[in-house]
Amino acid sequence: MTSQEKLCGFEERISPHLKSAYNLAKWLTRSHEDAEDVVQEAFLRAFAAFESFRGEEAKPWLLTIVRNTAMTWLKRNRNTAVSIGFEEPLEDPIERSPDPEEILMISSDREQVRRALEQLPLDFREAVVLREMEGLSYKEISTTIGVPLGTVMSRLSRGRDWLKRILANPKSASPKEESA
Amino acid sequence: MNCDDSRTYLDAYLDDELGVAESLGVQKHLILCADCRQSQQEQLALRSALRDPEMYSQPSDDFARRIEEVVRRAARQEAQSERSAWFEWLRLGTFRWVPAAAAVIVVATMGVLFVMNRMQGSHEQLIASSVLAGHIRSLQANHLVDVPSSDRHTVKPWFQGKLDFSPPVPDLSELGWNLIGGRLDYVDGRPVAALIYQRRMHDINVFLWPNRGSADDSIRQEDAQGYQILHWNGAETAYWVVSDLNNAELLSLARALRGH
Repeated sequence: MTSQEKLCGFEERISPHLKSAYNLAKWLTRSHEDAEDVVQEAFLRAFAAFESFRGEEAKPWLLTIVRNTAMTWLKRNRNTAVSIGFEEPLEDPIERSPDPEEILMISSDREQVRRALEQLPLDFREAVVLREMEGLSYKEISTTIGVPLGTVMSRLSRGRDWLKRILANPKSASPKEESA
Repeated sequence: MNCDDSRTYLDAYLDDELGVAESLGVQKHLILCADCRQSQQEQLALRSALRDPEMYSQPSDDFARRIEEVVRRAARQEAQSERSAWFEWLRLGTFRWVPAAAAVIVVATMGVLFVMNRMQGSHEQLIASSVLAGHIRSLQANHLVDVPSSDRHTVKPWFQGKLDFSPPVPDLSELGWNLIGGRLDYVDGRPVAALIYQRRMHDINVFLWPNRGSADDSIRQEDAQGYQILHWNGAETAYWVVSDLNNAELLSLARALRGH
């Protein structure tokens, strides 16, 4: 593969997924500037690694690199734990069960939903974003994050529950993210 | 399927990740169970909220251009480093080739020089025999001179219009070489000037024409069929001197001509 062929192949297969890369990076870092830095670094890594790209689905391939870049970036630039262990109980933001009517109503307020998703702990947030926004299958998410299929399903389920609860009671103050 | 099973499978069911049998089970249960239908509604509400385009973070056009530029720069750098790696290989390789290349060049140069020498030699041989033939012919055919004159001021202008050069016609009478005239001859595929000097009844043909090659003042001598042939390449004029005169005297004429 000559450099020209490599560039052409990359721009044809990988570059069109820039939006997905940015969206994922934005939801993982929760910052526009950080997301741009992560995506730029991820694209350089992806270009360097493009020779190992074997014509599989391009989007999960790129998002895996973006995700790993973001995780490294978060560890380096934020002196906080970025991960909540799978077995750790996710604290409910509220005690009472959500009122379905309430959820339906509040979820139409996009600002509320955005804040709720931003508050969702990172491991759950990435699973939800990859599934709901990027439309990845469980198997693709499992490959991208590097966890077993069962863990993907569990994180999705608990993440969604958590979102429903926080949306049902939006006034509930700071959830205890990254306190673990 | 009971409510516990249904809740377990609901996410996967809505995500289209459930097998056919389990999907049918969930569907049947949802028809029967209002609570689980409620859960399904909540899930769908959350899903549509999350999938709303407003929730999707779009990169700016500027950023998209920046990424494109960054990738292309990386491609250029990669191409450059590939090229320099190639040059490096070639450079290192060159050192290994030096002895072999030098040997090839030496052999090739020797070969070319040898062939050129042979060609040069055979070319001069051709001229020599042509010059000798011209000399003998000029004596046989009683056509020694076209312009009989001992006056160089007559001979020199006579060549004008007959040759594409003006031959030097030195007056060497003081040295005992009498000019008796000039003649037009034909040597080496071109018209040339022939000057005829005389000493003690010996005729001397001096053939001359512009020297197109390199100059070599050293006088080369050859004798063929009882004649002496002297030759040198002056800076501007090539000289061939032919006569049956003895070698020593002819050499003095050659030196006198060369001095002019």
